[in-house]
Amino acid sequence: MFALADCNNFFASCERVFRPDLVGKPVIVLSNNDGCAVARSNEAKALGIKMGDPFFKIKDLVEKNHVAVFSSNYALYGDMSRRVQDVLRDWAPAVEQYSIDESFLDLRGAMIADLDGWAKGLSTACRKMTGIPVSVGVAPTKTLAKIASKLCKQYPKLEGGCYMHRPQDIAKVLRKFPAADVWGIGRRSVKKLALLGVATAWDYTQLKEYVVRKTFALPGWRTWKELRGEPCIEFEDVIEPRQTICVSRSFAKEITDPADLCSQVATFTEAAVLKLRKQGSLALEMMPFAMTNRFHENEPQTFASRLVVFPEGTDDHATLIVAAVAAVRAFFQECYGYKKAGVVFTRITQKEGYMKSLFRDVEAEDRQARLSEAIDSVTTIYGPGTIRFGVQGDGQIKMARERQSPHYTTVWKDIPRVTVK
Amino acid sequence: MQPHPIVDSSSFESLLVGAIKAGFPSPAEDVREKLDLVKLLVRHSASTFFFQIDGVSMVDADMDEGDIIIVDRAVEPYNDCKAVCYIDGEYTVKRVEITGEGALLLPCNEHNDKFKPIPVGPDNDFLIWGVVTWVIKKA
Repeated sequence: MFALADCNNFFASCERVFRPDLVGKPVIVLSNNDGCAVARSNEAKALGIKMGDPFFKIKDLVEKNHVAVFSSNYALYGDMSRRVQDVLRDWAPAVEQYSIDESFLDLRGAMIADLDGWAKGLSTACRKMTGIPVSVGVAPTKTLAKIASKLCKQYPKLEGGCYMHRPQDIAKVLRKFPAADVWGIGRRSVKKLALLGVATAWDYTQLKEYVVRKTFALPGWRTWKELRGEPCIEFEDVIEPRQTICVSRSFAKEITDPADLCSQVATFTEAAVLKLRKQGSLALEMMPFAMTNRFHENEPQTFASRLVVFPEGTDDHATLIVAAVAAVRAFFQECYGYKKAGVVFTRITQKEGYMKSLFRDVEAEDRQARLSEAIDSVTTIYGPGTIRFGVQGDGQIKMARERQSPHYTTVWKDIPRVTVK
Repeated sequence: MQPHPIVDSSSFESLLVGAIKAGFPSPAEDVREKLDLVKLLVRHSASTFFFQIDGVSMVDADMDEGDIIIVDRAVEPYNDCKAVCYIDGEYTVKRVEITGEGALLLPCNEHNDKFKPIPVGPDNDFLIWGVVTWVIKKA
């Protein structure tokens, strides 16, 4: 059996943990730059606010209904996600974190007599320990577990846990479940599904195997088997190091000053270097880029980038930042207003076992390595941006986040206040 | 060009310890224990949160302004525990007396008569956010 633990309206729920006054009220969380709604409480969904709705379009609705609006607070969401993970690890032999708010649990070989009780118990434990409501679906395959977890959200009577295993129960659920909502099918297949007369997940399972293979290729075939109760999507609890690392952001206001763009890209590079070093990799190629606002059709448009190739794989903060800044200086043109920029490490290799060139300057390399390690330690203890290169400026990404809640769990000066009475 | 050392600093250190003390091995050589304050204060990393005490409304309280309290949501509220409660839109630390019908919230300090005990039943809009397990106070 597999389980899926899915945090309900995760970002909105994180905000509510520290704001019990918002329980039962509409809450939304906005994307970076306060662009659009990326999380909604059930009450906000009921008002008709959709995922991805641009904020300016729903502003009236928000004001009229006193919707609580938050800028995203990834420090808080990341820490709350870690807490939920801690609980899951206590309850299951293996956990695969699928996204910030969803994890698969591998229950094969686990001796659990009452899986329905187990699912409800896990949901209760997550809620009690972290304050986050979690839906736990248990089923013979990952795809079915995901459907089971969605049932918990639809039916509060399930108390956050649903064990779906009897073929007749699965059939009953699939007959009502839209095929396009199945994990792995997706909206892009809607047309093909319509042509085949497939409306529900059940219809999909009734297609002939060769039709599925021909029309939906391998992923669609795997989903077909999984819906029929045959597990074939691997459980991945070992995280493979990422093959590319990208850090990019759009800016609140377009950037026209080269120094500003350099300091922003340097800050993105620093963030990317921290990711690179954390997974023990070296960068062989890097591509800083910047682009204009494609919604401003009557202004000149560009996508500018430079590929930087390193003769030797590196994870050195200074080397990578200097190279990124040089690239930005090379492609920057005064006539454009840059709306978004970023950096990608396009070729990465593992540090362990990497052969370095024989004629390198060992002493200088040592010195740089010590500097990089010092930056890592300061960053680990005091947070990113505490120590930084001059070119990074104040080390802040120029984003609009006017409505961000405090970093309740990650910054001492932000911890919640309480009076004694 | 300088010869590049092939051992990192920690393995070099252990090499030294072994070399110098070869004739008289320290009985403590293998003991690598130390006291970890976090392990003592944080029993459940998933459910432990920190709050800071605000305001000085209490005389003789065992919590003062600026103290940091450690709150563990995994701890079941027990009779006479101190807990962070959420009442009337505000966080307050109260002593919780568990009664038959619900709970009685008492001021944190017995000698304080400025604040009256508040009875809470099923109709009240109130929640125990978490039980206070430690108070960190600057000496």
